[in-house]
Amino acid sequence: MTDPVLSVKNLSITYTVGAGTFQAVVDVSLDIQPGRVIGIVGETGCGKSTLAQAIPRLLPEPPASIGSGSITFRGTDLVKVTRRQMPMVRGTGIAMIFQEPLNSLNPSYRIFDQMVEAIQIRHYRELGIVKTFQGGDRPFDYSKRPTPDVASTLARPVLPGGAAEEEVRTRIMSRSEFREEVLKCLRLVRINDPETILNLYPHELSGGMRQRIMIAMALSEKPALLIADEPTSALDVTIQAQVLTLMKDLIDEVHASILFISHDLGVIAETADEVGVMYAGRVVEYGPVDEVFRSPRHPYTKMLLAAAPRKYKADGPLRSIPGNVPNLSRPPSGCRFHPRCPLARPVCKGENPPLAVVDPVVGDSPRGAHRSACYFPEEVPSMP
Amino acid sequence: MGRSPSDLIVFIGKRLLQLVPVIFGVIVLTFFFTHLNVGNICNAWYPHAGEGTIKNCEASINQPILNQFATYLVNLVEGNWGQSQSGVLVYPYIASAVPATIELVLAALFLMVVVGIPLGVIAAQYSGRWGDHLVRIFYLSGWATPTYLGAVVAAVFLGPYLGLPTHGEYSTPTPPFPQVTHMSVLDAIIAGNLPYTVDAISHLILPATVLAFINMGIATRMTRASMLEVLPLDYVRSARMKGLTEFWVMYKHALRNALITTTTVLGVTAGGLLSGTVVVEEVFDWPGIGQYAYTAIGGGGSVPNYDGAIAVVIIFAIGVVVANLIADILYGVLDPRVEWR
Repeated sequence: MTDPVLSVKNLSITYTVGAGTFQAVVDVSLDIQPGRVIGIVGETGCGKSTLAQAIPRLLPEPPASIGSGSITFRGTDLVKVTRRQMPMVRGTGIAMIFQEPLNSLNPSYRIFDQMVEAIQIRHYRELGIVKTFQGGDRPFDYSKRPTPDVASTLARPVLPGGAAEEEVRTRIMSRSEFREEVLKCLRLVRINDPETILNLYPHELSGGMRQRIMIAMALSEKPALLIADEPTSALDVTIQAQVLTLMKDLIDEVHASILFISHDLGVIAETADEVGVMYAGRVVEYGPVDEVFRSPRHPYTKMLLAAAPRKYKADGPLRSIPGNVPNLSRPPSGCRFHPRCPLARPVCKGENPPLAVVDPVVGDSPRGAHRSACYFPEEVPSMP
Repeated sequence: MGRSPSDLIVFIGKRLLQLVPVIFGVIVLTFFFTHLNVGNICNAWYPHAGEGTIKNCEASINQPILNQFATYLVNLVEGNWGQSQSGVLVYPYIASAVPATIELVLAALFLMVVVGIPLGVIAAQYSGRWGDHLVRIFYLSGWATPTYLGAVVAAVFLGPYLGLPTHGEYSTPTPPFPQVTHMSVLDAIIAGNLPYTVDAISHLILPATVLAFINMGIATRMTRASMLEVLPLDYVRSARMKGLTEFWVMYKHALRNALITTTTVLGVTAGGLLSGTVVVEEVFDWPGIGQYAYTAIGGGGSVPNYDGAIAVVIIFAIGVVVANLIADILYGVLDPRVEWR
């Protein structure tokens, strides 16, 4: 097995608001292997967006603070990286697509000016003109072109057309070359008349268009890791479907390592290879998408799947999970789901159950891939 | 979409047309305030003048007030703005004093922009921490300083200490080149006279700094407030996510949007700057309209000059209105969501 692009270990994040503290993320660990798509699902407020923003250290600190754990990206612990060094990790290292396409573009600049910035940063780093990220036990210097096999382990995405696009540039690109590059990225996200779009301001574009531009911008950086934080949630259903189809196509084309955050089970089922289910700041179940969705081994996952609306009136009234998401300033003892869980027993109130390996049911999934943080995973399939 | 260059010309043209009634209103107010509130106007205006002047004056004020106003308007348009009691014509003097004041105000505005706005950014960046408090102490001490005190302290202590001139526009009473624009630095540049350019700039530094220091608070404060509004927004986060350094995130992405508010407020402070020139110009012997206003109202034991005082009021009012107009236009230019119509 190759080294993971990103490895999060025992990460805990708390918010300090006034006198109270909220444990938004507790003891979360996950690995992203090169070229894999990892999905994170959960309800609003379960800490999935906090997790996503903590990886590139975008959380405002304070009020947020990383209590413990490590975020190892290409051999460097991002928790220990200084504020000054962090911009060098973002962009070509980690790119991100945000939830709110309407507000994610600067209203004062034309699309071209905003997109070209991302490409310029990548280009200058490749040429070694601007400082690049070096630090940690395994420094990565963006100015050195990766050799082919290194490229595959780092899973550097390539634009359609493959290697031909990856010609080595040794001089600074001209403005028209930058323009070409921007146009190429806009075509990549299936924008029909990119020349017109270039000169428009964000307020002149629809939400779906803006999200495509955000995706194009993230991909233009050729990041090693792409974090998509609910990229389709703020769009209406038809646009959502278009953007999702686009993202699925792009995932196949760019072979990037992707962390895909969503509250929509269907979206995760269609895009991700592996999925982590989060509840109240903890990962309660983790495994291959087919495994987790076809035979969930945590009562929360099972009830979440049952609560998802399928077809109009096809399966009777909508089911919901009784109770409320716990207050994270005073979380319940032991398993955080026990007050709402039909399988709960006294043991659940004591120690928090560890994320333990469960037996695979579907196909040839490797043993050890599917884990559940429940004391009674074998009882979950027979739950009503 | 209402934002082509031709739309901009129409937009500016319309704003200029809107200026006409405003200026007319200013003239009406000034005229009636000065002509209706004094009992024996001729004695008040010309206490030391000869028999002839008083006779002329009484002949004119015995006419109906509207006729007087019409005559006044015609004279105003013709450039016949009256004279001081020593016989100096108001209009030619003001025409050469206004550019000197504009130069001083622009220099102060320049300092407010290049110092005050970055200070606001720093205050927002370190809000609630030491940097913020230091900046607040700095701008509040400026805001709290009375103009006369700041000007005198600068002229008496700061100038000699720093070796900066505290008197006039140049080291010699008149420069050896024609004063085409009556802006000291610009004239020296037009004449191609480098020593005099340096001389003129060094004379400009102290008065402009005093004026800027006293009025800077508003620029810093507005920038800080609107930066704090902009910084948590999503596009600042996405700029950061591109890998831009904090400098570019702050000054290219956040400040560009925060500036829209600051610009509008800077237009409003033009009034404060203009009234500040009255004291600053007198202290630094700057031959501008502020100094003229000071002597026209009898400051420093001079003989009052009523015609001059009325002219100054009109000029200051026009100055404030034009400054607001420029701020208004800049607002439209800076914010791409504003349509020019």
